[in-house]
Amino acid sequence: MKTKQDFPSINQRKADGVGSDGNAYRVLIVDDSLFVTKQIGQILTSEGFEVVGTASNGQEGVDSYKELYPNVDLVTMDITMPKMDGVTALEKIMEFDKNARVIMISALGKQDLVKKSLMLGARNYIVKPLDRKKVLERIMMSLSK
Amino acid sequence: MRVEYINPFVESAYNVLKEVLSVEIVRGELYLKSTSMPVLGVAAIIGLAGDVEGRVLFDMSKATAIKIASAMLQSMEMEPIEELNDMGKATITELANMITGQAVTKLHNLGFKFDLTPPAIFTGDNMEIADTGVEALIVPMDLPFGKIEINVAIRERN
Repeated sequence: MKTKQDFPSINQRKADGVGSDGNAYRVLIVDDSLFVTKQIGQILTSEGFEVVGTASNGQEGVDSYKELYPNVDLVTMDITMPKMDGVTALEKIMEFDKNARVIMISALGKQDLVKKSLMLGARNYIVKPLDRKKVLERIMMSLSK
Repeated sequence: MRVEYINPFVESAYNVLKEVLSVEIVRGELYLKSTSMPVLGVAAIIGLAGDVEGRVLFDMSKATAIKIASAMLQSMEMEPIEELNDMGKATITELANMITGQAVTKLHNLGFKFDLTPPAIFTGDNMEIADTGVEALIVPMDLPFGKIEINVAIRERN
């Protein structure tokens, strides 16, 4: 039987989505767009992250976070959503878990919105359109903070 | 309608379409449309509210919508679509959302404060849209996939 040691280490690059303990980072995606949910999911799973939940509005996002907690490492949060917007959902998640790692992802890059999100505890803010490199860079930055 | 409102939409549409679809885009001449107007078959709409009120409509034929959505999906290594299914509609509304979001951000930096609503999409033949009391400016964009008309109607609140 082959073990990991049989493979030359020179070609081994740890996937971004796997933590130093060898476990995949667990992600909750909150976005009202089926397209964006799929897009973020695709980028993250291809790097070894595990998508443990999706929610299509802020309220659902807060509820899912509480249900998943503590088995969730990262949340991606849209802003313009029905029922409850992403900034309010961020605030509620931070109230529940002050160590929550939430990254805002929005088409809106208005400065006061970015500032407010960061003040409330968001780890990063990604302005759309999304591409693979941008998403992974920002997420890795937030995980190492 | 103040002309300052329209330029950010023209720039954002051009930038986002180019970035997302990686194709050549030709901007057509702006024109005004009357209050009751036919739409092309697929219309994604986003509302604007704040210091100003109004809406932005992204209007295209069904064939164009399918081609654009397929190109966006394929750029993410996802299956193209044959019909305008839920994923196709979500893809077109997201395109509308990215363009409007970028335009609203630019307008915000110029001092115009307003927010946008989550997008909605309408599809059907022989549709017509009427908004009384609001002038609509049309920004036509020609793509290899067909034409998108970005229809912007904004008025100041009294």
